[in-house]
Amino acid sequence: MDLTFTHRFVKVNGINMHFAEKTPSFTDNGASRPPPVILFLHGFPELWYTWRHQMAALSSLGYRTIAPDLRGYGDTEAPESADAYTSLHVVGDLIGLIDAVVGGDREKVFVVGHDWGAVIAWHLCLLRPDRVKALVNMSVVFEPWNLKRKPISMFKSFYGDDYYICRFQKNGINILQEYGEIEAEFAKVGTERVLLEMLTYRNPGPILLPKGKSYDDPVSLPSWLTEYDVKYYVSKYEKSGFTGPVNYYRNMDRTWEMMGAFSNAQVKVPVKFIIGDQDLTYHIPRTKKYIHDGRFKSHVPLLDEVVVLKGVGHFLHEERPDEISKHIHDYFLTF
Amino acid sequence: MTSEVREKKIKTNGIWLNVADKGDEGEPLVLLLHGFPETWFSWRHQIDFLSSHGYHVVAPDLRGYADSDSPPTHESYTVSHLVADVIGLLDHYGTAQAFVAGHDWGAIIGWSLCLFRPDRVKGFVSLSVPYSPRDPNLKPSDLFKSFGDGLYITQFQEPGRAEAAFAKHDCLTVMKKFLLTTRSDFWVAPPNTEIIDDLEVPSTLPDWITEEEIQVYADKFQKSGFTGPLNYYRAMDLNWEILAPWQGYKIVIPTKFIAGDKDIGNEGANGTIKYVKGEMFKSIVPNLEVVVIEDGHHFIQQEKSERVSQEILSFFNKLRNITE
Repeated sequence: MDLTFTHRFVKVNGINMHFAEKTPSFTDNGASRPPPVILFLHGFPELWYTWRHQMAALSSLGYRTIAPDLRGYGDTEAPESADAYTSLHVVGDLIGLIDAVVGGDREKVFVVGHDWGAVIAWHLCLLRPDRVKALVNMSVVFEPWNLKRKPISMFKSFYGDDYYICRFQKNGINILQEYGEIEAEFAKVGTERVLLEMLTYRNPGPILLPKGKSYDDPVSLPSWLTEYDVKYYVSKYEKSGFTGPVNYYRNMDRTWEMMGAFSNAQVKVPVKFIIGDQDLTYHIPRTKKYIHDGRFKSHVPLLDEVVVLKGVGHFLHEERPDEISKHIHDYFLTF
Repeated sequence: MTSEVREKKIKTNGIWLNVADKGDEGEPLVLLLHGFPETWFSWRHQIDFLSSHGYHVVAPDLRGYADSDSPPTHESYTVSHLVADVIGLLDHYGTAQAFVAGHDWGAIIGWSLCLFRPDRVKGFVSLSVPYSPRDPNLKPSDLFKSFGDGLYITQFQEPGRAEAAFAKHDCLTVMKKFLLTTRSDFWVAPPNTEIIDDLEVPSTLPDWITEEEIQVYADKFQKSGFTGPLNYYRAMDLNWEILAPWQGYKIVIPTKFIAGDKDIGNEGANGTIKYVKGEMFKSIVPNLEVVVIEDGHHFIQQEKSERVSQEILSFFNKLRNITE
């Protein structure tokens, strides 16, 4: 498997965005038709790198694959203002990226999303359905906007103050010189240990981070995560830190406020949804029922297929890379 | 004239809006969005006219105005909030797609509605204010700086400043200064002058409005103040930030632009109307009709009420394949 990528930078929406690209080494029909584009959107706490297997597989099948580090992550700029991390900011970046990559014809692209990338993908489909040809989304379902469910207070009432999203909320006074509360704790634990805890999390229950939680137990790497992979993530996170990524959580209420126009709105883009049955998101109360009893489809009327992978956890595309690549290719072939 | 207008409070997007409503609820819905500093009352002529020509007309006091709720900080006055308020109204009435007309800030809300929820708009009429595509390299506050401190938008930024300047006049005078203006420059006050002091009140009222009608506005603003309305201006940079997803977007919904040839910003060679009739605008709003009303000023739906009513009606009727 050829894992060489081109790394590029482009100025979009006021930030310098880094993305990895892997294009077909051949033109599939010799004609002037450009290869279809797949935009890959990573989650937390990851990077473009999480998509390496899919980019390798799908580029060899004739797709032009693009995977940015999202705003605040990796080699992409992290704006100083903690308010600059709503879905509207991030979708703005992606529209700029799509325009820069696809050119002036305002064409549609395929999108693949996971975790926070899936949340962003749902919002991309609401805000700019005219730019998305089809979506393969993973792990996080689409739930319609609900006036009564302001995110943080909802999480607090479901899971308590130690729920990781609640623990992520407290911001620093000055992002450059002082950490937010959770960044300071992460710094004490160490970047590598924090990443390992998250990437190897296989508990179907919600992530709780009580203060004074011990991080001393040994962590063993799963088969799909190599020392090299860990080193790559650690090197990037040590450089760019956790504030950018955590700021997404800090803007959940603001995003909710600004997406009020989409109350009752459906996602009108063709979608294939994939989830592992060991994923903590699959075990959020009432989610299984929501996915399978028809309500998910009522909000995503073009939901063509739901795939539940047995024995697979949250990072499904790293755990079963070939299977996921095949699912993606099989779906996008139909367009 | 407005004796059969129903007024009621409707909960939308977490706030209460006061909404004027006239016409048969079974007819297609027309949503009318007022500007600054006005109320639904600015649409009184169109409410009567359109409701007697086959439409159910709905005209809210917008967020921050008159008898509607007024959240305290400017962060609650972005176009995303205002559009969500409107969507909530359409949901309340069970309207899948509405005919929409907006004037001034109401036009900005209408254009934003065409971005956020084009699926909910059958056709849109904009009075006075065209769609301003986002310049990715120029924030509004930086653009305004080039006009100096005298520009009314700049003077409206600092919380409290314009409120204090307005308070030096009684509300009736403030309303006359706005409603009766005949200025067609971009409203830049001379140095060390507040715009409200620079705007003049004519010695006689024009024939299209009475003292009693102006008093209707004065009474509302006396009660609710100007902070809510001014917050719209204070959220302009924030709007610019959150409209990034529509960078380069083409609005293909049928639209019509109506303005008086003496409206604000029509003075000189680079005025609004020239922009609207130009190639650049046509490339981003391709499905557009333009009507220029001779001798019309800013508050056009009041000043030239019959003409504006007819232009709105004929546009919406055309979209329904109805011809007179």
